Amino acid sequence: MKQKILVVMCCILTVISFGAKKTGVIKIGCVGPITGDQASLGLDQFRALQIAVDEANAKGEIIPGYRLEIVSLDDQHNPTQAVAMAKRLASDPAVVAVVGHVNSSCSLAAAAIYQNARLTQISPSSSNPEISRKGYDTFFRTCATDDIQAPQAAYFAFTQLKAQKVFIIDDKTTYGKGIADEFEKEIRRLGASVLGHEGIMQADKDFTPLLTKIKALEPDLIFFGGMYPEGALLVRQSKALGLSATWLGGDGIYVSSFIDLAKEDAEGVYCTFIGADVSTMASAKNYLETYAGRFGKQHMGPYSAYAYDAANIIIDAIRRAGKSGRQAILAHVRLTKNFPGVVGVTNFDQKGDSTIELIGVFRVKNQAFDYVGPAK
Amino acid sequence: MSPFETFIQQLINGLSIGMIYALIALGYTMVYGIIQLINFAHGEIFILGAFFALFVFSFLGSFVPLNNIVTIIIMFAAAMAGCGLLGVIIERVAYRPLRKAPRLACLITAIGVSFILQNLMMIVWGPIDKSFPVFFKHVVFTVGALRITFMQGFIIITSLLLMISLHFFVRRTMLGKALRATSEDMVAARLMGINVDKVISICFLIGSALAGAGGVMYGMYYTTITFHDGYLVGIKAFTAAVIGGIGNVPGAMLGGVALGMLEGLAAGYISSAWKNVFAFLILVLLLLCWPSGILRKFRNE
Repeated sequence: MKQKILVVMCCILTVISFGAKKTGVIKIGCVGPITGDQASLGLDQFRALQIAVDEANAKGEIIPGYRLEIVSLDDQHNPTQAVAMAKRLASDPAVVAVVGHVNSSCSLAAAAIYQNARLTQISPSSSNPEISRKGYDTFFRTCATDDIQAPQAAYFAFTQLKAQKVFIIDDKTTYGKGIADEFEKEIRRLGASVLGHEGIMQADKDFTPLLTKIKALEPDLIFFGGMYPEGALLVRQSKALGLSATWLGGDGIYVSSFIDLAKEDAEGVYCTFIGADVSTMASAKNYLETYAGRFGKQHMGPYSAYAYDAANIIIDAIRRAGKSGRQAILAHVRLTKNFPGVVGVTNFDQKGDSTIELIGVFRVKNQAFDYVGPAK
Repeated sequence: MSPFETFIQQLINGLSIGMIYALIALGYTMVYGIIQLINFAHGEIFILGAFFALFVFSFLGSFVPLNNIVTIIIMFAAAMAGCGLLGVIIERVAYRPLRKAPRLACLITAIGVSFILQNLMMIVWGPIDKSFPVFFKHVVFTVGALRITFMQGFIIITSLLLMISLHFFVRRTMLGKALRATSEDMVAARLMGINVDKVISICFLIGSALAGAGGVMYGMYYTTITFHDGYLVGIKAFTAAVIGGIGNVPGAMLGGVALGMLEGLAAGYISSAWKNVFAFLILVLLLLCWPSGILRKFRNE
């Protein structure tokens, strides 16, 4: 008797599974730090992708018989972990493209895996120029690169902030050291004197030894190439030591968490960002409203719009390709021309870099980033 | 700022973090002195102190606006009580059943406890840096070009008070005597009628409470805390305990201060990028010269 029931059950299940309309899945990977001290950046990238994918799915099947899905993975801003996650994405045949990684060091490490797997990778925020110089034809990015950002930051520091004596600090990561080196090169060329250039450890908390040394050198500007947790501590500790130099940072500190952590000491800190203030752009109006409605405006990070554009470029390429296949989608991403995104009209050059080269400068005023204007 | 003033400023900065190292190192050294266990979960207990204080702060804040000093006292009390209790529970649950097991088993258990605590903190308080309340907004005493922030003074004085009270507890009270006796010879102490289990619990209680106090000061000083902060600071405090001579209470205090200052000087004068390397280089060099630490543990045969 028991066996009979079982057989009947099996038959019913089989019929049900055949009866259901079969929809294929096209997956887009999303990799960034979603735990750890930089989690806010990774989550931000993920939210942007969620909005883009939900919008695309709401319009019906992306291509006949397929809907989009996100595979979100955590690289903990650790290159080793980034490679492991990239391999996981590469081994899933339904994954056709990846939005990420957030950090340059991770993008750089993972890019080789994507290249072999013919997986299109579009990073919204890895701005280190080295990545696209490696010759990977699968790598693209929607943000500008540090070799554009840092010289423009130096130009701004020299012409607008009248910096003559500069000290440079970096966090020894691919991003931080990259941007600091480019800044140093340009500010020397412009004629300012560089009093020193030193590295710090990421996740360290005590920078007073270095800042005490800097205080004795009396610079009028300190440039920091690094991320916001260390940036906030550096600024706080420098104020406690009575350093009066102006702080200028890269896009790594252009995050609201920077102000949350540095509190009133953040006032007057300058930072550059790869792009202008998105909230002032007409093209961003719809996206800002959608984001605010879903996640709350205050949570929106600096790369959100860049991640959203990256996702839409991929979705657009899938539509144009008309089929699910890594090679076809890669070809169509490469063919992207004048893509009308949130941050502007995106084109990719030979190396996969975005041709939007606008660098904006922000200054912390009343506990918020105030748009100063373009750096150049 | 003259080079000499810069040097003194570096020493002052080093002293403040050194005092926190010392407070944590006391816990390592007391536990090692009694059961020869390196309690690797101690660093996590330390940063949990900061999280407990933060929790109490936000909890209190939602009821009555209290005066700063009362708030600080309550934060310290909560952190010390919470950490002390946690230390006792950990010993009871994770280490006591293994007391007769080989030492390596205890050591690995300690590392396991450390991971569990770290991940629990991540689940409870989230992975992102937490902002700690600021009570003394850059109140600064200046002597010439030298600057001592109120917080630095607060750390130095509070730590000193805690260390002095510990010293008197160990040297002058009956329980302190029992503690010393147990560390000298556990079997003989038990034969003399000392409740060894109770003594070990008290040792964990005091060590963890001191670490908790250190955690609150760490949070107040650096103003941001993360779940993984306990790891590096814990390892450095352990280094401090070894430098001072592990198992030796005054040694741990001295080791902490020495490590904080040397690390600060190395970072300030050689390279800040290698700050952590110097901390451990100092350990290696000291171990080569004085394998049993600056203050070797004297034993009367």
